[in-house]
Amino acid sequence: MTAAIDPLLHVRRLSKIYAGVPVLDRVDIDVMRGEIVMVVGPSGAGKSTMLRCINRIEDPSEGEVIVDGINMAGELRGGRLIADSSTQTARKRQKVGMVFQRFNLFAHLTALDNVAIGPQRVLRLPREESRRIASELLERVKLKAHANKRPWQLSGGQQQRVAIARALAMQPVLMLFDEPTSALDPELVGEVLEVIRNLAKDGMTMLVVTHEMQFAREVGTRIVFMDGGRIVEEAAPQVFFTSPRHDRSREFLRRVGRGNADQVG
Amino acid sequence: MVGGVDWAVMWYAIPYMLQGSLVTLQISALAMVLGSIVGLICGFLLLSELVALKWLVRAYVYFVRGTPALVQIFLVYFALPVIGIDIPAFWGGVVALGFNAGGFIAEIVRAGLQSIDMGQTEAAKAIGMTNRQTLQHILFPQSLRRITPPLTNELITLVKGSSLLSAISIYELTRSTQLIISQKFTPFELYALLAVFYLVIISILSRISEYVEARLA
Repeated sequence: MTAAIDPLLHVRRLSKIYAGVPVLDRVDIDVMRGEIVMVVGPSGAGKSTMLRCINRIEDPSEGEVIVDGINMAGELRGGRLIADSSTQTARKRQKVGMVFQRFNLFAHLTALDNVAIGPQRVLRLPREESRRIASELLERVKLKAHANKRPWQLSGGQQQRVAIARALAMQPVLMLFDEPTSALDPELVGEVLEVIRNLAKDGMTMLVVTHEMQFAREVGTRIVFMDGGRIVEEAAPQVFFTSPRHDRSREFLRRVGRGNADQVG
Repeated sequence: MVGGVDWAVMWYAIPYMLQGSLVTLQISALAMVLGSIVGLICGFLLLSELVALKWLVRAYVYFVRGTPALVQIFLVYFALPVIGIDIPAFWGGVVALGFNAGGFIAEIVRAGLQSIDMGQTEAAKAIGMTNRQTLQHILFPQSLRRITPPLTNELITLVKGSSLLSAISIYELTRSTQLIISQKFTPFELYALLAVFYLVIISILSRISEYVEARLA
């Protein structure tokens, strides 16, 4: 058995080309179980596109994504890739949780039902059990008191915490965060980062696209710097923030202020 | 009109026209139910990945939109019996109007589903929902409010369109009025009264749908 040392996420030559322009350009990355990879870089670097191609919310133009030993594109038979149907892709996607910049809570459902709908409709658990799971998860993100509110009755920070609970309800092996605090008022950023921090402590494997450098430095086990659709530099947080190797990394860090708390905001 | 308006003939006609109204409402209601079912299924199919069915639905919608309702009614009433499908006039009317409405409702449903923010679809996909589950559990419930106003329009169009069924001798509101006119020769009074009947029916339906819309809001 080699499962223990195999990466949980294995990405090779992942590319996305829009109208002839490579937004994501032959990206390779491996993420081990329990790693917290912080993806940073200027806007338009392809960070979000990389996440969206990993769980196939967007179809990559090229490349291979393997999550927990499962090829996200299809089955290899006799050296040939038999592409999945959209239903098979949906099933594989269950294991990859995603949290969006704009929360995207289901507008017609209460906080509780937003979390319960996945277990109930996708995992086909009984309604009562789904709601119990949802209730526990809302407690975990400290929102049990708001269980019966609709998304528009919640603050941005609360909505994002519900969105995290919704993703966790599917018991993912990997969580993707796409700028989870970028749409939040500054005073609400902390409560969302706190939830992500706790997830990290619990050992969840995560890929986090973020502009919160201080947070990336504290919580990340590795920093991935992207620019122009490619991974330019990968390093441990201490190394990346103190002695970046590439000019573009240095330029980026100079502009965002090195991730020092006193320079954020 | 030398002698002025003949009020008596109007009083005489009202009971018959109420009978006709009842048939108009019955046919319209049944056709609306049929049209909604057909339209809902077709609207979903238009956004599905079932290519062959999608193509069939497109052809159906193209046909319904591209031919007059009266011709569609004649096709059901006169042409279908020739190929061995013989249905009573009343039900022929329901089928013709229902499938006519279904074509338009399919487009209303499709547009309603597509008008929902892409983020909702992405979030549904992210928790592993299939295309069908996303349409059914996420997009459709949210589109109901947007679909209601154009559906109301469709219902009104349908009630007015049911007057075409007088051409295949269904005793609905228009036909019931025409029969009295052919006995009494008072077209001015009775066609005016007929217009009032339709106005009242449609005003009532509009009020009901406003109420439903407010409840959905």
